[in-house]
Amino acid sequence: MNQLRIGLRDERKNFQPGDEITGAAGWELEKAPESLEVRLLWFTRGKGTEDVAVVNTVRFEHPQAAEARPFHFQLPPAPYSFSGKLISLLWAVELVALPKKQSARVEFVMAPEGREVVLPSVS
Amino acid sequence: MRARDNPFSSDRVLRVRYRLHGLTWEQFLARLAHLRFRAAIVGPDGTGKTTLLEDLESRLAALGFTPKPLRLDEDHPRFPPGFEREFFAQLRARDLILLDGAEQMSRWNWWRFQRRSLRGDGLVITSHRFGMLPTLLEARTSPELLAEVLEQLLDTAAQPGFNQTQRLFQKHRGNLRNVLRELYDQHAALPHA
Repeated sequence: MNQLRIGLRDERKNFQPGDEITGAAGWELEKAPESLEVRLLWFTRGKGTEDVAVVNTVRFEHPQAAEARPFHFQLPPAPYSFSGKLISLLWAVELVALPKKQSARVEFVMAPEGREVVLPSVS
Repeated sequence: MRARDNPFSSDRVLRVRYRLHGLTWEQFLARLAHLRFRAAIVGPDGTGKTTLLEDLESRLAALGFTPKPLRLDEDHPRFPPGFEREFFAQLRARDLILLDGAEQMSRWNWWRFQRRSLRGDGLVITSHRFGMLPTLLEARTSPELLAEVLEQLLDTAAQPGFNQTQRLFQKHRGNLRNVLRELYDQHAALPHA
């Protein structure tokens, strides 16, 4: 059975720009992967094609088949998490096992006061 | 309703894969092999041709081919200058070209593309019109297919009735992409829960 897990410290889900985000990544795989990466990224969701940008990456070299390791990132100043009718922008930390690209992801909000920007409707 | 919660957001719609009706993937691949891996998926807009070509890619890789996906559309009807020269210079045996939007090519460009593609081990295209290559499959939609897709995207309680499904299908003349876009807009107008 292959399993990947990723979680944020204290299960925190709301951050401000510039905050430090810490957590742990764990995995149980049938055999040791070549490597694993934890990626800090934002992505869009909505009507059109998804956009995604990987902002930072932590690489775990020489992993065992089953292990857990911590990670931390410094969050950038932007873009803020926002939510509209046509498009939302979300932040996430994602664990990826290479080369097979199995993954697990945890989403969070990054915005002033830790509250996503809600876009008003335009009539 | 927020974009992230919309059941018709693009990430959810993209998880709906092509449904072969009346044949299995093994039969579909056998048909393609019979056509010597040079064939066309034909159909109008919004009938799933691109989805089917994408689903074919991993299955061809499992057979030992190296799929080479290419895409043309109305916004990009030609490859950039120099691209084809470089692409075909690197084409090898076991490479199989998957060209989405072949109908965008002029007759001359298509003729030349076909000839050059013989360096590889196959060419599968999507097209709005018949005759460019032997037809592998004609992509068709139906109100029943739309209903199946909506079953996958919506909770049971939110499923539209068959009359509504049929109305949507007829309004968009079978173009399921446009049906799903209209449903996105309808759900976007709902109040945020």
